[in-house]
Amino acid sequence: MRNPRSLLGILLLWLGVALAVPTVYAQTADLDRQTHEIGTALRCPVCENLSVADSPSPLAGEMRALIRRKLAAGESRDTILRYFVTRYGEGILLDPPQQGFSLLVWGGAFVVVVGGAALLVAKVRGALTRPPGTELPAAPASTADPSDPYEGRLDAALARYQGDRSW
Amino acid sequence: MITPFADVGYIALVLALVVAVYSAVAAVAGQQVPALLTSAYRGVGAVATLVSLAVLALWVGLLGHDFTVRYIVETSSRTMDPLALISALWGGQAGSLLFWAWTQALLTGLVLWRSRARYPALLPVVTATLLAVQAFFLFLLALVANPFARVPLAPDDGRGLNPLLLDVGMRIHPPLLLTGYMSFVVPFAFAVAALVTGDLSRTWLTAVRRWTLLAWAIQAAGLLMGAWWAYHVLGWGGYWGWDPVENAALLPWLTATALLHSIMVQERRGMLKVWNLGLAIGTFALATFGTFVVRSGVISSVHSFAQSAIGPYFFAFVAVLTLGSGGLLIYRLPALRAEGQFDALASREVGFLANNWLLLAAAAATFWGTLFPLLSEAVRGVKVAIGPQFYRGVNGPIFLALLVLMGIGPLLAWRRTSRGSLIRNFRLPVLAAAVGGLALLVAVGLDRAGAALAFAACAFVLGAIGLEFGRGVRVRRRAGAGWGSALTSLVTTNRRRYGGYIVHLGIVVLALGVIGSSFFQQTADVTLRRGEQTTIGRYTLRYTGLTSYREPGVAATTAGIAVQGATPLTLHTERRVYSGWEQQPVTGVAIGTTLPWLEDVYVLLTGWDDAGTATFRVFLNPLVALVWVGGLLLLIGTVIAAWPVAVRQPHAVRRAVPSLVGALPDA
Repeated sequence: MRNPRSLLGILLLWLGVALAVPTVYAQTADLDRQTHEIGTALRCPVCENLSVADSPSPLAGEMRALIRRKLAAGESRDTILRYFVTRYGEGILLDPPQQGFSLLVWGGAFVVVVGGAALLVAKVRGALTRPPGTELPAAPASTADPSDPYEGRLDAALARYQGDRSW
Repeated sequence: MITPFADVGYIALVLALVVAVYSAVAAVAGQQVPALLTSAYRGVGAVATLVSLAVLALWVGLLGHDFTVRYIVETSSRTMDPLALISALWGGQAGSLLFWAWTQALLTGLVLWRSRARYPALLPVVTATLLAVQAFFLFLLALVANPFARVPLAPDDGRGLNPLLLDVGMRIHPPLLLTGYMSFVVPFAFAVAALVTGDLSRTWLTAVRRWTLLAWAIQAAGLLMGAWWAYHVLGWGGYWGWDPVENAALLPWLTATALLHSIMVQERRGMLKVWNLGLAIGTFALATFGTFVVRSGVISSVHSFAQSAIGPYFFAFVAVLTLGSGGLLIYRLPALRAEGQFDALASREVGFLANNWLLLAAAAATFWGTLFPLLSEAVRGVKVAIGPQFYRGVNGPIFLALLVLMGIGPLLAWRRTSRGSLIRNFRLPVLAAAVGGLALLVAVGLDRAGAALAFAACAFVLGAIGLEFGRGVRVRRRAGAGWGSALTSLVTTNRRRYGGYIVHLGIVVLALGVIGSSFFQQTADVTLRRGEQTTIGRYTLRYTGLTSYREPGVAATTAGIAVQGATPLTLHTERRVYSGWEQQPVTGVAIGTTLPWLEDVYVLLTGWDDAGTATFRVFLNPLVALVWVGGLLLLIGTVIAAWPVAVRQPHAVRRAVPSLVGALPDA
């Protein structure tokens, strides 16, 4: 094999086979896993809040078999999901596609968490921005019973003494 | 059998409504006229008696198969055993409302009995508020969802209860949740009373803390029973599906958890007053919303067995109570000035504030996700589903942060924590977390780093709780006590604090169960011939054969599975078909817990053919048992923390406080 081109060809062929064999093998071995994975994205139509992967209902069983057949026929995850969406509507997806209006559900949650954090920071800003010289005296580490009426009153009186703040 | 009991029950309901309305008005007017107040308090007893009579009437009708009553036709049948007939009281919408009204009437009596002497100034308005809520439910029962309405033509037999609801768990779970939802009315009533009377000192807080703990514990028990039922009956291998009805039950529980913590900031520092009142009000609004979701079918889900026209009434009720009490709160704002301020970031009160932020964020995100399908339907006309992915994505990190905070909070001092004590306090827990986390990372691999992180957080909290217990015990040991007596006296003399730590311990154990089962679950569908075996995970499952049997009202087919593993098990999973519900066969799940990883082998029969070849769905769920153990610990801790104490006699130091405060030096 003095021809470098044929050497390259053989090398490429070998590489192709080496890469393809485990892939094909993994595909058959992973069929169950893929079926399960696609099943978790679909809502079982007769039980509403269970995924097709989890539901014990016969319909979900048929849907799992269908997903498996389609996977075996080489269809991609997206094609299979699209197939179910055209048949059952968007509601068949256990989680709405992350685009358009449905992004609002994540956006809303984000706003809630971050907005809460902002409120929290605004609330304790006094503690954050107080210049070091004006620090209030550290209270003794109070590990005592918080329901103790004496301590409660003493703390309240101390707090009143140190100034008012509306909450 | 036609009985007059239904009529007796209906008359009792109408009378109860009249008495409740009268007593509510009399309680408010009674602040000036003592005789009216006495009659209002007696009215509470009368309402409780009348509603109990109505419940009794419905039970007599159910047990006597009075199929002239619509509710009895819809929720019972002749084949049901007496216990199932009794639980049919909460099997439908009207009955659930009656159950709410009944438990609330009893609770109102209990509040009156326990709190009358202790809070004489607040109690008239508390009673009036409780009775007003009671009157709303009695109004619904009398005019909109009458459980005693007759059918024009009585059938021979009733439709019976949905077979999924026949399980024992279902006999306990709905009444617990309904009672939990209902009990949040007491903190609400005390909040309203504080706002109305203007007595905004700490008086109402003490009352609210214990009643909130009670409601919180009942709701927790209800949630846990619901999870247990889902796990043992629904057959999908899990116990929490972020179903709208589950979410609705979780919401008031989350906000009540927030309230139980932020109350302490007000007790100690006189801060967060408006916030606490708002939480008490909001929690009850969410509880009412939850009842409405469960019983109106507004958001269709597994649980919506009952549907009817109570929606607008509930909506109006929630609106009135939220706007009314919100208005009161705004009116009282000037009297709700904080007595202190936040001194340092590393302080207990900032810890509590962060706790409230996380709990409220989780509640708000869950609320948003639950209502989003309705919003989508209204705006786009497309009803989308919000599945577990959203809730796990949002609430997973929040709950993890809460878990870490649960370890940090108790180790912080009020006002400020010095650097020295920070290092001293956090050395051990951080070490525990680092060692635990690294060991797990090695054990489970980098692809499950999330699980290792979560387990490390658990180790951190366990270290923190251990540290607190260890210190307390050591001090007592130095005084000469033995280990056992040191621990017992530590908990009994400081029940609120150490009861709370036991609750925290319960949460950590529960979290371990949740992490284990959500990160390490394995699933397989297998088809086996008789005698054939298969290997899943560490177990070999052999299918031993199929048998059929009949009982009155049920035809069942049972498959036997012999499991070989660290712990040999024999499991029986079956498929039951109830007469009248042929379209909805029920799967009997077989669950066996194995040692040492507390792994559940969870098997259900999904189908079989004439040759006896059967298909099974198998789940391996590690650590699920810890969910139930943690739940139990949580309840035990709550009981320890909340059990009434004898009122302590004021001692000399307490009397000396005013003079001491007067003698404080200038800062």
